[in-house]
Amino acid sequence: MNSLTTYLIISALLFSLGLLGILQRRNLIGMLISVELLLNAANLNFMAYNRFVSPDPVTGQVITLFVMGLAAAEAAIGLSIILALYRKMHSINIEAAQKMKG
Amino acid sequence: MGALFRDPVLFATVLGTNLPFLSMAVILLFTRSKPFVSSRISVCSIAVSAVCAVSLLVRLFSAPALQYQTLWFSSDKLNITFGYYLDPLSLLMLTIVGIIACLVQIYSLGYMAGDPGYSRYYAFQSLFAWAMMNMVIAGSMLQLFIFWEMVGLASYFLIGFYYEKWSASQAGKKAFVMNRVGDVGFFLGLILLLIAFGNLGIPELNHAAVTHGLPQGLLTVSSLLIFCGVIGKSAQFPLLTWLPDAMEGPTPVSALLHSATMVAAGVYMFSRIFPFFSASPDTMAVALAIGTVTMLLSSTMAMVTYDLKQVWAYSTVSQLGYMVMALASGGYVAGVFHLTTHAGFKALLFLTSGIFIHEFHTNDMRIIGKKGGRKLKIPMVCMAIGALALSGVFPFSGFFSKEAILTVLASQPSKIWYAAGLFGAVLTAYYSFRLIFHILLPKGGIEEAHHEEHGASSHEHEEGHHGYIFWTMAVPVMILAGVSLVLGFTEHTLEHFLMRSIQVPGELVAPAAHAVSVAAHVAAGGAHHAHEAGSPLLTILGVSAGLLGIAIAWFEYGRKGASRNGFLSYFPAIWKLFDCRWFLDIFYRKGLDTLVYAGLTSLFTKNDRRVIDGGIDGICVFTEGSGRLFSFLQSGMLQFNLLLMVLGAGAAVLYFVI
Repeated sequence: MNSLTTYLIISALLFSLGLLGILQRRNLIGMLISVELLLNAANLNFMAYNRFVSPDPVTGQVITLFVMGLAAAEAAIGLSIILALYRKMHSINIEAAQKMKG
Repeated sequence: MGALFRDPVLFATVLGTNLPFLSMAVILLFTRSKPFVSSRISVCSIAVSAVCAVSLLVRLFSAPALQYQTLWFSSDKLNITFGYYLDPLSLLMLTIVGIIACLVQIYSLGYMAGDPGYSRYYAFQSLFAWAMMNMVIAGSMLQLFIFWEMVGLASYFLIGFYYEKWSASQAGKKAFVMNRVGDVGFFLGLILLLIAFGNLGIPELNHAAVTHGLPQGLLTVSSLLIFCGVIGKSAQFPLLTWLPDAMEGPTPVSALLHSATMVAAGVYMFSRIFPFFSASPDTMAVALAIGTVTMLLSSTMAMVTYDLKQVWAYSTVSQLGYMVMALASGGYVAGVFHLTTHAGFKALLFLTSGIFIHEFHTNDMRIIGKKGGRKLKIPMVCMAIGALALSGVFPFSGFFSKEAILTVLASQPSKIWYAAGLFGAVLTAYYSFRLIFHILLPKGGIEEAHHEEHGASSHEHEEGHHGYIFWTMAVPVMILAGVSLVLGFTEHTLEHFLMRSIQVPGELVAPAAHAVSVAAHVAAGGAHHAHEAGSPLLTILGVSAGLLGIAIAWFEYGRKGASRNGFLSYFPAIWKLFDCRWFLDIFYRKGLDTLVYAGLTSLFTKNDRRVIDGGIDGICVFTEGSGRLFSFLQSGMLQFNLLLMVLGAGAAVLYFVI
């Protein structure tokens, strides 16, 4: 069971869940969480390849750490955008934001 | 750096010419709010500069011309040097500038006292002194041009010193713009020389002109272009109207910049590269004609105005015309000598006028006369000395220099220039004494007659608030009056001094320039000729021209029962012509309106509105339209878009994998 394929399947599942979430959740925070799922699926892939294919250089780990930092920044920016939107629209429903269409 | 301290001459030059800049920087940066400190800093630094200038003159009096230079930059064949050129001419001019600037700044301590812009005034005065001194000792034409423009900038600041006054700011602008017109020509001339000759060093240029190292055509074109600079700066014929307007500045500024030194910069530049100019007979002919026209036009303008400063302003223009005439007919020494004496007596005239204006708060000579201008004895005597010098009466300095100029003019083949010079001398004496008599013997006497009995002027000045202010103003004036008395007798010394370094083309005989060389040679020794055969007649004619002018003025304004209107008042048309400055300003205004505003400006406006704005607007409209065309794709449904994106990416993956 402890093979590359297992991890890839789990990662693919995670990715699909994230994609599903981002496409069908109407709540903006939900969408943000789904984005985190997508990123973590990618992270898992990186770690799996690092572990099974080329264990010596730690490139995969470095990239993972980098992506985690990126995710933190993205969450901060995303949340502040949501906050600003909430102040404007009094709602965090994605459909409310359609009003901003030019 | 070491050389600077080892060589006392270089040290004095650098110190003397750059100290004023330092004082300007200190005033502008630190002491703007402390007028007392600012003025003392400025006066001290200019005094040191004047001492440096005088000591340089004394030390190098019999030394050969000195040149210091370093390479500023070089490119291919082009070498631009930066340096100092200390020859008799520049040393003389440096001394004039140093001393007069120093006297004027001392005078300003009194004249400007209590002015809100006191510090600013001294900062600009220092800026001017720095620029002017550096211009005088510049070693190359480019360096001269740079400081020439600096001087113009200082002039602009000082004319518009009372910038809250509309007419003053307008006058500053006018002076600046009219000067630029001339300077464009000057700069083009320099560029032409640089391209064709590759060197702008003053000695090199003069040497090349003397040894025929320059083709005649190039010489003529470039010297004519450079002469445009003289026309602008020295207010010669087509561009002369800025100088009378420049009198909007404070009176000491008029004395220093717009009569004694700055406007003489044009004449100085002419004499600086005199061999270069004199190698081109055509340029000399043009310059002679322009000088003559300027001299006569401005003298006539001075005959009708009642404004004290305007009279001296027109007179400055006309005396500059004399200098240009002298130089253009080959009288190097005569021109420079007149520059020297004129600097002394014209500064004197302006400074005394300043005392009157300060005392009576008006520029109108009739009112000053009525209010008892003659009770100010010291200024009155000094002004009379200045006017006598201006009219060329023995033994005042103007007599000697005007004599030298008239001698030079008489040696011209055509006598018309000499006649014009004599006529100008009559007019000069007439308008100066018209002013003197207006103040000295006013129409209907002095109004407060009872003051006159105990009106011993010195008594009145010691009354409280006048003491300090009056004497800071009177002492420089008295010094200048003394200078005007004795300067004329230095003619021979000065002539030997100046002739040491100048090379006229005649010294290297070549057939092409023979005619000029003879004229230049004869004229350069013009003063010698004054004591040769035929010269007593010239002297008598010159003196009698001056006396005739004074006599006419006496007849009309001085004697008892005189009409005090002037003969011109019987010809209203001519009066109006003179009073409106021969309609030059109106002509320029019209020219500006029709040619520039109605013609070029409207054309450019149309170009701007239609072509440039229209083009950019068109691009904007196109971009916006095409944007709108595709904006329906932007539905605003975020998740729908995302879905499309994912499907697209999936399709791409499928396509590439399979």
